[in-house]
Amino acid sequence: MVQEFSNLVINGGLPLTCLIVDDSAFARFHLKRLIESFENVLTSEAANGNEAISEYRRLKPDFVLMDIVMPGLEGVETVRRICEADPAARVIMISSLSHKEKVEEALAAGAKYFIAKPVTTGDLRKAIEQVLTHKDDRRPEESK
Amino acid sequence: MRLDFVRTFIDSTTELFQQVIGPAVSVSSVTVKPSPVAGRDVMAIIGLTGESQGRVIFDMDMFTAVQLAGCMMGEPSPGMTPLVRSSIAELASMAIGQAISRINDNGTRLTMSPPTVITGANLVSYDQCFETLVAPITTAFGEVRMNITIQDLN
Repeated sequence: MVQEFSNLVINGGLPLTCLIVDDSAFARFHLKRLIESFENVLTSEAANGNEAISEYRRLKPDFVLMDIVMPGLEGVETVRRICEADPAARVIMISSLSHKEKVEEALAAGAKYFIAKPVTTGDLRKAIEQVLTHKDDRRPEESK
Repeated sequence: MRLDFVRTFIDSTTELFQQVIGPAVSVSSVTVKPSPVAGRDVMAIIGLTGESQGRVIFDMDMFTAVQLAGCMMGEPSPGMTPLVRSSIAELASMAIGQAISRINDNGTRLTMSPPTVITGANLVSYDQCFETLVAPITTAFGEVRMNITIQDLN
């Protein structure tokens, strides 16, 4: 079912752009499918931190969905580098590692929101609306 | 063996399976076995490091892996495709990630490696000197065994 983002007028009606970063092909497949259930969002993918930095620089997406546990350059350090280059970057952290210390580490690195896996459409919608409306409420959602 | 952590791994995995692949999940008897651990066709391996050390291996037969992945993907898979392997890795990663988060929130620093999935016939894992606790989990798609080894470094 296609859903609209309520009360949001972003990009003057142009499609929103999203970069999905996860080393897991399944996670990218799943997130892409969830994103495609929203109206007017285009996705791009990266499978590791270095690729994510390069894709972010190239695409300047409206928001990023970022995993933490990845081989090589892991998610928190990747967010730190992206946000150092672009402090306005809207990064939503998505990870099965959701303990307090890890969430705080991700938010301190520049992530704007944190979702614990497994991700539902509702979780994702809420997170995207939150970061797109620039509401700087950095509290993560309740643990599942 | 850190039995308290083992219980957390089993509980988290059961809950995660119920969330992701449906309600027909239960843990039957838990046994302790010496290494090596005999696996089935598909093994997902996650290393554990930090104040404790060890690893968790999920093993299952090929049919179960393909069916589980099909459930996660929302569409049947014709066989052991790369996306099926990735689905099994993600399932293991989510289960152990949740457990590690609970353990960290309770004061023990523990982290995990990205999962590795190995497929083949009659796979065997060799871990010298470590006893392994085996917890079979029954799902609607067949049995998934958790083979857990974890102990404090000191």
